[in-house]
Amino acid sequence: MIKETMTSKERVEAAIKLEPYDRVPVAPLMDVMFPSRHKGMTVAYGISHWKEGLQAIVDIFDEVGGWDAMILPGYSLALTPKVASGVMASMGTRGYKFPGQDAAVSENSQPQYEERERLTVDNYDEIIKYGWSGFAERNRERYTSFPPEQIIAWAKKQTEHYAREGETWAQKGVPSLCGAIVESPLMFLSTKRSLTSFTMDLHRIPDKVEAVMDALVDDFTMDTIEAARLTGIPGVMLVLERGGCFYYPLKIFERFEFPYMKKMVEAFAAEGLITVMHFDQDWTLNLPYLKELPEKMCIAELDSTTDIFKAKEILKGHMCIMGDVPASLSAIGTPEDMEAYCKKLIDVVGDGGGFILSSGCTIPANAKFENFKTMIDTAKNHLPAS
Amino acid sequence: MSELADAIAELNEDEAKRLVREKIDAGVEPLSIVDECREGMDIVGGRYKNKEYFLSELIVSGEIFKEAMAVVEPLLKGGKQAESLSKMVLGTVKGDIHNIGKDIVGTLLTAAGFEVYDLGIDIAPRIFVDKLVETGAPILGMSGLLTPSFESMKETVKAVEEAGLRDKVKIIVGGGIVTEQVGKYVGADAFTSDGPEGVEICKKFARETK
Repeated sequence: MIKETMTSKERVEAAIKLEPYDRVPVAPLMDVMFPSRHKGMTVAYGISHWKEGLQAIVDIFDEVGGWDAMILPGYSLALTPKVASGVMASMGTRGYKFPGQDAAVSENSQPQYEERERLTVDNYDEIIKYGWSGFAERNRERYTSFPPEQIIAWAKKQTEHYAREGETWAQKGVPSLCGAIVESPLMFLSTKRSLTSFTMDLHRIPDKVEAVMDALVDDFTMDTIEAARLTGIPGVMLVLERGGCFYYPLKIFERFEFPYMKKMVEAFAAEGLITVMHFDQDWTLNLPYLKELPEKMCIAELDSTTDIFKAKEILKGHMCIMGDVPASLSAIGTPEDMEAYCKKLIDVVGDGGGFILSSGCTIPANAKFENFKTMIDTAKNHLPAS
Repeated sequence: MSELADAIAELNEDEAKRLVREKIDAGVEPLSIVDECREGMDIVGGRYKNKEYFLSELIVSGEIFKEAMAVVEPLLKGGKQAESLSKMVLGTVKGDIHNIGKDIVGTLLTAAGFEVYDLGIDIAPRIFVDKLVETGAPILGMSGLLTPSFESMKETVKAVEEAGLRDKVKIIVGGGIVTEQVGKYVGADAFTSDGPEGVEICKKFARETK
């Protein structure tokens, strides 16, 4: 075991600020799925029983001797007490099929996103005219059957839970990184229109799509800043998947993703909020653009499909990198495979600071406990080679 | 390259539609229109391979191709049929409802000349096996986005073995997090996380199983 001279909070802050740390911090993207299964509950039970689910995460934390940060403190939603905020959350959650609630998604599976159109191309003009909040309020009944006062009460309760999750970790000396979650306008439209329909929109009516994004971005940004203020956690997760080079050429990224990402990240930074950019899928070609984002105010969270070693070359000295143990390695690899991969990450990406060892996206529900523990232990026992 | 193939390769949806209609009105053999559309899709695949095109261009060209086929296919009935490269059974495995990757690959395979039996999402091993038996397809493609899908893929490979079909059926698995390790774990003959690469592998399988 490396002799530790920093607290978890100091270590994680050092990584974000690209300052020296005593060892590489480790912070899995941990939700309730893997802990529920490990504790003998079904995933469905863990999701629907907040206290027990959160306790399962705490228990697994204690069982492995702890880690350095929670990326998200639990699995509640951080929302502003507004109808629009509640409607957006409702649209998001209704897009998922939850374990035990659908024949295709077993009680021990993870929630799965069903790709279908929730917004139509006909909605675009209304969003352009009224902005997201105006559109959501005018169309509330299409997306939720609850009256405004119930939506607001639900949103408030969710946010209170979120803050309590953060407090649970803070009491254990573990910082939470994200006080709110938001999608980029591109990610939001792609998931609500469906990938195919949205891609055809970009091809057929690019100017209109751009106008819709212009109408979304300020409401998304302001609501997120407000939600983070309510939870008291000084960071934001910006969920990005569909705007990267896995899906689109750079000319699309340059016009429809990066300007909005940049605007959001800069607004968060101005409020002192660190942005965890949750990059699913491959963003390798997009990495050079990230140097235009505020220095030491962002974390590039990679899922193993972006080349993390290339990311280190490009982003070294500018922003912290987090990741990227592949989900397949957690699920079907061996502890030896895991140790070797984590050591490589620590040696190369952790060299000179600016790295947080983490899972590539969420720890999968069927991760092997011994693999997970090996990831945590390797961070605590292995220093970068240099 | 024909004008129609060029319109598809350049993702010119309106021009492709116009040309298809014009050719039909002019009495051009429907099968030859299909061939031109396929030529266009082949060019798109080549540009993707050369990294000039991305997934979005596969999606857009796939939609243009499907629009063209919706007009041309009814005219093929009773007439000269396109020769299939091979039959193939495709689906997202049990417990997984993700369809994006599967659908894109299904369109690319169809455009490449495969006769694709797309079973949809959340497909149990027995359903895959029954379709292989029913169609005599020598290729099985399984898709999955989540780690629990690896077990479903493995169970399906086992079911194919138990049905006595393993030496007659080539199996490919695909998905965003499918790696070589996953391919070996489930007992597949090939793996990919890249649609056009998957099509090339299936073409190779088609040649080997002829």
